[in-house]
Amino acid sequence: MDNFQKKFLDEASDLVSQLEQALLTLEQDMGNPELVDSIFRIMHSLKGGGGMFGFDNISNYTHRLENMYDLVRQKKLKVTREMLDITFESADHISSMLNDDGSKTEEIKKNEEILNSRIEAILDGDSMSVVTVGDSVEVKPGLASYYVKVKPYEHIQRNGTNPLLLIDELVGLGRAKVNIFYSNIPDFESLVFDDTYIWWEVILATESDIDAIKDVFIFVEDDCEIVIKKLADGDVFSFDGIEPLLQCSHDFPFDLEKITSLANTIQALEKAKTETAQAAAAKEDKGDEHIKKFAKESTISGIRVASEKIDSLMNLVSELITTQAGLNLYADRAKNAELTRIAEGLENISRQLRDTAFSITLIPIDYLVVRFRRLVRDLSREVGKEIEFEARGAEVELDKSLIEGISEPLMHILRNSVDHGIETAAERKAAGKSPTGKITLSAYYSGSQVIIAVTDDGQGMNPEKIRRKAIEKGLVAPDAQMSDKEAIDLIFMPGFSTSEKVTNISGRGVGMDVVKRKVSDIRGTVSVSSELGEGTTITISLPLTLSIIDGMLVRIADVDYIIPLSVIDTIFAVEHEKIVSSFQNVINIEGVQYPFYYLRDEFAIPGDAPEREEIIMVKYEDRKIGIVVDNITGEYQAVLKPLGKLYRNQDIFSGASILGDGTVALVLDTHKVINQFTRYNDL
Amino acid sequence: MAKTILIVDDSESIREVVNFTLQTAGFEVYAAGNGKEAVELLDGRVIDLVITDLHMPEMDGIELIKYIRATAGYNRVPILFLTTESQLAKKIEAKDAGATGWIIKPFVPAKLLAAISKVIR
Repeated sequence: MDNFQKKFLDEASDLVSQLEQALLTLEQDMGNPELVDSIFRIMHSLKGGGGMFGFDNISNYTHRLENMYDLVRQKKLKVTREMLDITFESADHISSMLNDDGSKTEEIKKNEEILNSRIEAILDGDSMSVVTVGDSVEVKPGLASYYVKVKPYEHIQRNGTNPLLLIDELVGLGRAKVNIFYSNIPDFESLVFDDTYIWWEVILATESDIDAIKDVFIFVEDDCEIVIKKLADGDVFSFDGIEPLLQCSHDFPFDLEKITSLANTIQALEKAKTETAQAAAAKEDKGDEHIKKFAKESTISGIRVASEKIDSLMNLVSELITTQAGLNLYADRAKNAELTRIAEGLENISRQLRDTAFSITLIPIDYLVVRFRRLVRDLSREVGKEIEFEARGAEVELDKSLIEGISEPLMHILRNSVDHGIETAAERKAAGKSPTGKITLSAYYSGSQVIIAVTDDGQGMNPEKIRRKAIEKGLVAPDAQMSDKEAIDLIFMPGFSTSEKVTNISGRGVGMDVVKRKVSDIRGTVSVSSELGEGTTITISLPLTLSIIDGMLVRIADVDYIIPLSVIDTIFAVEHEKIVSSFQNVINIEGVQYPFYYLRDEFAIPGDAPEREEIIMVKYEDRKIGIVVDNITGEYQAVLKPLGKLYRNQDIFSGASILGDGTVALVLDTHKVINQFTRYNDL
Repeated sequence: MAKTILIVDDSESIREVVNFTLQTAGFEVYAAGNGKEAVELLDGRVIDLVITDLHMPEMDGIELIKYIRATAGYNRVPILFLTTESQLAKKIEAKDAGATGWIIKPFVPAKLLAAISKVIR
């Protein structure tokens, strides 16, 4: 570095500190023309010096800032907060460019891109929107949290008011926690039977306004002490760390001061976060893949953790849940109130720990969609087709291991769609379709499954062609009879590929059989439906079954079974008589006809059934179907263990769980149970 | 079991509209043309809610409310009265007599049901 450069660096450092000084003063006195002038001059000197002494990066960057302040000088732009923020950050940015020894060049470049796009946003004249957006806290419009105290006068029930209905109505407005105060209840002797001694405190997060809350109490304004206070904008229940403050405990009032101060702190943080996100969003509009990616990364506040650590966390949580079950059982038997209380407290914590641990491993499908969008774009260019790619339900979350497992099969399916499914623009026109083909990836939850479907509006599959090919390849006998559906299913046979020419994309020997195998590796299933000329849909169903589930522990004869809580709709008690006398396995409960399966019969369990049995309504597609068991033990957190070899073909059981006392309970996959018995009964 | 509502109003059209709305919503409905008829109708029947007009011949709404509050077996039954926005003094009188709440005329079915849901369920 020669002397001149050194000299420039010193001078530039001085200029930067002058800049900071001027900015601080300008902040106090926005729009002071003298200060604007001096800032403009500083930029000008930096730009000139930078260009002269070979610091082109500084020269280029300050050029933009100079432009911005020039517009202010000409009164075409007003000084805004965002502008000051940018300039402050620019000062830091310029110093880091001055001090860069080459090690941080990448980082500086990224930062510069962000700042540039923010400057551009201002120069484009939408500085207003940036400022206003930055100022607003990210909350759902109108969603706010309130504190409501309802203290009825003793006589309130005398004119027919039931205060509980009012509390119900209030709670119905949104999400709420209710504290009940019993302390005013007098001794039994002095208790008047229909006087009211109880009062309530409610924390309510609702989209309704304060008038709607007041409306709840319109009839009892004179019969109650009502206090309504707004605590904060947004849903206090969603604030991190607020939970302990919102625990319902009888006779202990909510600590409003703490709740409000925590809410304020959190909102201030949120606001700061939103501002960063907004600034990032402003940049995203400007396009440029690189910036987009960076903006996204910089707004995700998180850390990277090695997968093995997560796996070991999950294992430990599983162990904890099993141990917990043992403790619960022991506490129950010991009939020691203190022990029971501790066991329950611990169970509550381990449940939350489990949920948190699980949520760590969940990744939204969006993670894959970005890659797929790129893939479809590149592939369609390569084969000269016009294809639009749409993704629905990208927010659906899947376990990390499933995301990894599903990525490759989906890639193959998309390749097939681009290569074989969608026709060329000319072919499409000839068939009377829009020249642009469309591939849709949609993901959604269905019961305990995640469905991912890839649909194209291409030429569809020709069952006849597939059949011929299969015969040619010796996969089926020449005289085999099969329906079109069966013919299309042949594409999953190993070694099948209909592509008459091998292209660069698919048809490289990796066929649908591989897709099928990969999907079943992660316990999923894949199916295809295709309409000649209309398009093809490939559907992958994945079990959402995580290794620990909330289940309902039930018994039939002396055996325990677990039904996942997620599929249970309602439970009714029924007389055995009613089941025996039912016709065609349909039972009438409260005026509704439900089909049901009697597990004692289906499992061929000998012995006498109890007089009263329980019928559990489980969700099956869009219906409810009953499953009859002897009795219900209760809710149970089940750690799923895979079943041994002997059970491999019993897919009605998704696993087994070891109960607190060491016995084994089989976990029923109700979907498969219903499927299997339906088929069996239809025969 | 369906909740039972007694509607008391001297206007037949109001009785019918309320009757229709309530029956559609699944309530069992009795109707009376004035306070006196209402008192006769009570006669030991289980009534979960009374909706009454205030101005009626023979026995008006205020008298009916007072009667109900003073009658064993009915004294805790919720009572809603029908009123117009302007009748503030009447409203206070009715509340003092023991009414639970009110419904402002004219009303649409949704408003009627909303008021009812505040006092019985």
